[in-house]
Amino acid sequence: MFAVLIDQFWSLTIAGVALGFIYVLISLGYTMVYGVLRMINFANSEIFMWGTFGTVITNRDIFHYTQLSDPAKGWKLALVLISALLMSMFVAALTAVFVEFVAYRRLRAKGTNRLATLISAIGISIALQEVMRLLTASRPVGSPRVLEKIILTEVWGANIRLDTVITIIAAAIIYFLLERFIKLSRMGKAIRAVSQNEDAAKLMGVNLNRVITMTFLVGGLATGAAGFFYVTVFEYTKFNIGFTMGLAAFTAAVLGGIGNIRGAFLGGLSLGLLETYASAVLGTQWKAVTVFIVLVSVLLFKPNGLFGEAVQQTRA
Amino acid sequence: MKIRNYWNLRDFGASMWEKSNRPQRIAIAIGSIFLVGLLPFAGASFLATPIAAYDAVLVYPVGVFVLMALGLNIVVGKSGMLDLGYVAFFAIGAYTMALMGTHTGLNTWEIMPFGIAFSMLAGVLLGLPTLRLRGDYLAIVTLGFGEIVRLIALNSSWTKGPNGIANIPMPPDIGPLKFKLEDQKVFFWVVVTMILLVIWMIRRLSIRRPGRAWESIRQDEDAAELMGVPTLKYKIWSFTLGAAVGGAAGVLYASKNLFIAPEMFTLNVSILILSCVVFGGIGNIWGVVVGATILGYLPDRIRFISDARLLVFGLVLVVVMNFRPDGLLPRKKREKAILKREVSV
Amino acid sequence: MNSKIQRSLAVMSAAALVFGVATTSTTSAQAAPKKLYIAYQGPLSGGEASTGIDEINAVKYAVKLFNAANKAKFNVQVVAVDDQGDPAVASTVAPGTGSNKKIIGLVGPAYSGATIASLPYYKAGGLALISPSATRVSLTDPKSPDFGGPVFHRVVATDDKQGPALAKYATSKVNSPKVFVFDDQSAYAVPLRGYVEAAMKTMSGTTLVGGDSVPNTTTDFAPTLAKIKTSGANVVIYTGYYSQAAVFVKQLRDSGSTAIFAGGDGVFNQQFSVLAGASAEGSRLTGVAGLADVGAKQEAAFKKSMGISSGVYAVESFDAANIFLAGIKAGITDRAKMLKWVTAFKGTGIGGATLSFNANGDIAVGGFSGFTVTSGLLKNTGPVK
Repeated sequence: MFAVLIDQFWSLTIAGVALGFIYVLISLGYTMVYGVLRMINFANSEIFMWGTFGTVITNRDIFHYTQLSDPAKGWKLALVLISALLMSMFVAALTAVFVEFVAYRRLRAKGTNRLATLISAIGISIALQEVMRLLTASRPVGSPRVLEKIILTEVWGANIRLDTVITIIAAAIIYFLLERFIKLSRMGKAIRAVSQNEDAAKLMGVNLNRVITMTFLVGGLATGAAGFFYVTVFEYTKFNIGFTMGLAAFTAAVLGGIGNIRGAFLGGLSLGLLETYASAVLGTQWKAVTVFIVLVSVLLFKPNGLFGEAVQQTRA
Repeated sequence: MKIRNYWNLRDFGASMWEKSNRPQRIAIAIGSIFLVGLLPFAGASFLATPIAAYDAVLVYPVGVFVLMALGLNIVVGKSGMLDLGYVAFFAIGAYTMALMGTHTGLNTWEIMPFGIAFSMLAGVLLGLPTLRLRGDYLAIVTLGFGEIVRLIALNSSWTKGPNGIANIPMPPDIGPLKFKLEDQKVFFWVVVTMILLVIWMIRRLSIRRPGRAWESIRQDEDAAELMGVPTLKYKIWSFTLGAAVGGAAGVLYASKNLFIAPEMFTLNVSILILSCVVFGGIGNIWGVVVGATILGYLPDRIRFISDARLLVFGLVLVVVMNFRPDGLLPRKKREKAILKREVSV
Repeated sequence: MNSKIQRSLAVMSAAALVFGVATTSTTSAQAAPKKLYIAYQGPLSGGEASTGIDEINAVKYAVKLFNAANKAKFNVQVVAVDDQGDPAVASTVAPGTGSNKKIIGLVGPAYSGATIASLPYYKAGGLALISPSATRVSLTDPKSPDFGGPVFHRVVATDDKQGPALAKYATSKVNSPKVFVFDDQSAYAVPLRGYVEAAMKTMSGTTLVGGDSVPNTTTDFAPTLAKIKTSGANVVIYTGYYSQAAVFVKQLRDSGSTAIFAGGDGVFNQQFSVLAGASAEGSRLTGVAGLADVGAKQEAAFKKSMGISSGVYAVESFDAANIFLAGIKAGITDRAKMLKWVTAFKGTGIGGATLSFNANGDIAVGGFSGFTVTSGLLKNTGPVK
């Protein structure tokens, strides 16, 4: 049962960390919005899905790569990758702001109950998914190979591949930049102020609407970056991929303590590793079951997740 | 703004009900039930559903959705807990019917208590450790529970895995009423009867001790606890009663559908039922009934736009929630004011 | 783009219809073409829609060709019955379709689960069904509770025939094959995997070294790849569908493995090699002989007419529709006669295969052919023996 885990421990770990970083970026989308609005951004999964198409469009339609063309090299490679990353972030951020505008703004202005907002977000995510389904004729969409997946070196029997390395390093950088942005910038401070006490922040002259739009935007940027890494690693996307990834990332956010940026980081990485190890030991079919059992056990002992705020704060 | 009152169906209905005396109320009740019972005969009118059979649509999705939404409303609407895994109880009821119906000689009505009991048991087992959690943490745990039930059904051989279970027996005839596939009126009447029973149960409970306890938990759990309400006990009760209704709906559905498979019990069902509750008017029984009826019926009514059907469905959710955030038939103003102040759902 | 074209086509045909009605009402002496309906049932919206959209496009194409060739006599319409691939939805649409006597034949249902949920209603309505893709064995097994006779027919071969063929083809000319088999947890892949594994046990020299079952939304196959590596497998068989197979085979090659990759008719699709690119080279797939060999010419005509390339089970759907259309051409206008016609049908499919059904509704096929992906194309290497 554990033979695979022991035999392939390091390759599983590397794969788990790479997957974990994608989860980290998507769960930032959940956790940022939750921190500010105390609401699950149900549409984040579809924001991610739209983000993946940003990369596909860049590779396929802007730089005209095809399934048969050779992968890019040198400066061209960097140019294509960075354009694709920016495009994905742009598309996802745009979608996120659109979601905020259509599904959240009016309801928030009215100060209505949170369930109405949740259903409104569910409605917009159904609509976003169906629009993409109609646009792609319900087909899966492959992305041409831009980044050649060279095996750089072998460590303890595990292949270290270029795309994995790039994903881990770049995702870590993006996470770090976002964290600094929230910590240090003026807008970041405003976001944190609103998440701690909305009324007090308003009294201190924070423009609430702008902060909330900005929160969605930043969450969208992170989620879009995840979309880029997803397509670069798997070279594939489809209108229905959002659901699974979104659910996993949401779980990761809760595991780490939703509303907390460092929680998203730890939750994402733990979930990536947990999923990968559980699939190797118990079989991939029991992956989700294991994840949820672990989640429930964690919540029983730490009811607000690994890094969650104290209860008083949540209910303040 | 007096004009708006004409549009306020809830107040209109309530005032009519309050102005009537007892015989009039009985007459109204019997009259409405009779009218609902006649619904399956209206298949040739503007109500007709393209492609799908009208009488079948009335049973599932409409009838079953109303039943489940009423059950979920006990949990979400009455005591304010966000449950995203309600489909689990539906699945447990359906699988109880399927397994017992194909392996024992028992009929639907004899299996019904088992289905309800197993769902309630699952409700208690899940509720005991998790109902201490609040708000969205509870949401994700219940969501996980719903997925776990589906995945166990999908990955186990005793549930026949992804193949599902076929040849589930139909309910035995009740006197002259015969259950038929081609004509599902009797199924509809059975669902309506179950719905009426559930409504009766909720109304009885609401005005008694449990109802008051739920109300206090929904408004402020800490205060309720301080005032001596055993909150965990009542939360588990509400969860278990919701589970019982879901289980009963599952038993009936399996017996009507004759075939069940794990793919029928996805998270989407939980989300859809929650949408029914919120869409219609959370906490208000009649709102929930209206919401579930519309959301169950709408996708089949608009089948003529085929391709963009679900797109329209999603947009309807967005638009209606934006313009009527408390649902089509919201609960009374007094309760609503409190709802606005709520922090955790 | 595609939907635009479809919409404009729809508008045009609607306009033509109105025009046609108008002319007949003024000059009633001219005989109107006979309006007849056949239905297609499958997932046309929601997460499973890709299969259904591909199939209904093929059905529409067949009907379009037929209507164009018989303009004066017939005007056949396709009724789209969307069951979302979900048995729960199927059981609400099937009663309506079953009792709508205008529909004289139905291509589908696409999925086995939805088929089982729908069958009681179609049996009651006596509606002939020809499924292009419901492969579950029990549907044509008279001893099973799922048995679909007399109404159910299919132009796709069953798992119990394909399993052994896939096992043989995947391991042919491999010295002491060590096989790893995995499925996507779907009602198609799990039974097929069972038949593949059962066949392996009877093959001497072949060992089954491991397996896995991955949710059909998986894109990260790292744990499965680790298992393959540990098991030392030199043949990997996937019994699911092409889109995941393409993602998997890329990761398999990127991990440095040279194991043979093989798949069944769910993977057997040109899109597989399009999505997987160079990684698909050498993959071994099984498909029905004849049905699978459709030339580039037909494909080009299809694309020109429908505005999109043909997809999964396109050939099967096309042939299924043509069986009904041949019946209509022979003058059939009601269900009972159509059912008899289908049961007794003998003809040739677009790929040159013989189309006829045995007593239980299964297609009488010669057997499976093996295909190897060679320079991006699926090359027929002849029947698997």
